[in-house]
Amino acid sequence: MAEEYKSLHPLKYYRDYFAHDIRPDGREFADYRPVIVNVGSISTADGSAIAKVGKTTVICGVKAELCRPRPECPNKGFLVPNLELSPLCSSKFKSGPPGEEAQVLTQLIADVIENSRCINLEELCLLKDKLAWCLYADLVCLDYDGSLLDACIVALMACLRSVTLPHIDYDPALDVKQTNLQERRHIAVHSMPLACTLAIFDDKILLTDPTVEEENLSSGSVTVVINGDELCSVHKPGGSILSEDQLLDCIGKSQARAKSLQELINSAVNAANKMG
Amino acid sequence: MDVHSKEFISSNTPELKCEFGALSRSDGSVLFSEGESVIMASIYGPVEATFNKIVIDKASVDCYYRPKAGVPGVQDRLRESVIRNICEIAVAISLYPRTAVLVNVQEMQNRGQLISCAINAVSLACLDSGIDMKFVFGAVSCFLSNNGELSCIPSINEDTVKAMLVFVFNNTTGGIIASHTEGCFSIEQYKIALEMCRKESRNVFKFIKTSLLAADKL
Repeated sequence: MAEEYKSLHPLKYYRDYFAHDIRPDGREFADYRPVIVNVGSISTADGSAIAKVGKTTVICGVKAELCRPRPECPNKGFLVPNLELSPLCSSKFKSGPPGEEAQVLTQLIADVIENSRCINLEELCLLKDKLAWCLYADLVCLDYDGSLLDACIVALMACLRSVTLPHIDYDPALDVKQTNLQERRHIAVHSMPLACTLAIFDDKILLTDPTVEEENLSSGSVTVVINGDELCSVHKPGGSILSEDQLLDCIGKSQARAKSLQELINSAVNAANKMG
Repeated sequence: MDVHSKEFISSNTPELKCEFGALSRSDGSVLFSEGESVIMASIYGPVEATFNKIVIDKASVDCYYRPKAGVPGVQDRLRESVIRNICEIAVAISLYPRTAVLVNVQEMQNRGQLISCAINAVSLACLDSGIDMKFVFGAVSCFLSNNGELSCIPSINEDTVKAMLVFVFNNTTGGIIASHTEGCFSIEQYKIALEMCRKESRNVFKFIKTSLLAADKL
């Protein structure tokens, strides 16, 4: 009976649950779904991680290439994120060039990397104006069940912590590069930004870590990115109008979430390092 | 019709200027400048929607953002999505089912406060077109310098800017429609910036009202 009710009147179905301060999956408004992180899942990549936030699954792999720095900033390397939303993860997406949602999320991820300065691009430069690392961080969504940016950032940060780069001997006079694949080193990750998405339901209820159904029925969303003690992004792209108190409430909730995610990534990375 | 905001300009707020009806073909258009940033915005709508864009109970809003030079990139997609989301909540789209509202934004000059300038330009263009709106929206940018000072005027030297915060308010309750930030800042700084921008937004709404009165639109 409940199933029919849900598909015929989805909004009322959710409202009836929310009237009793509970969500259909048994969570309270401020509860999160369990998060799983696995580091070093792809052996052919220079670093990789899988993150699961509830059912939302994102896999991230970093591939490093040597390239020449841009003339505008000759002492900087590159870190290029790219999110793929394939038809595999949801019926919403079609194959072909990246759609609007994928492009917007890719830009948000790139903004988070830049704003948090988690990777110092100058450290990726091997020789000024001659040689630098270009890290391609490819994120693929395998299962789309809401709060995608949260999962992407967890996967990306766990992945960056696991990236090792081979030692390069470069002779600028002869332009000869020698790669020592045995001697690999971790890159320095200076901070760990973590995102927390909240959906706004009926202009007043704030749902932490929404599922895709809750996102579709909600009237807006807020994504807060916490970077240690600082904020690195408060992104609210339109939608329901919030008061100042509600917005600050979102930030408060995100801080607690970021702390637990940070511990989770740390333990996953440490466990992987011990094994490897 | 040229309107200047000289009368409410103080030393630490950007000067606002606008010209209505800059384009003849569109239903509403405006050439708007905030400080040194300039945006041309135009609205077509409600117009006939293409088959795959039709929504049965409301109008679909499409936003096209064109950069000053070159083809639109991934960064412009993010700006488009923010502007589109704001228009969807501010314009009474349920009054125009099965139609489309097209919002075009052309960047003319960028001196920092590009996003708030674009949002204000779209707000004025909506008012110029006469499309039904639930409320008027206004955006304010605020810049945090490396030594912790907040200002609504972008510093000439980009390296001294630590963060940029943009807030979009509605004119009825003063609620926050959108928030967009670049760079790192503390919660305390965020609160102060929000309060500062809320105060500044009153000037923006005052400017919108005077410009409409001066252009005989009210």
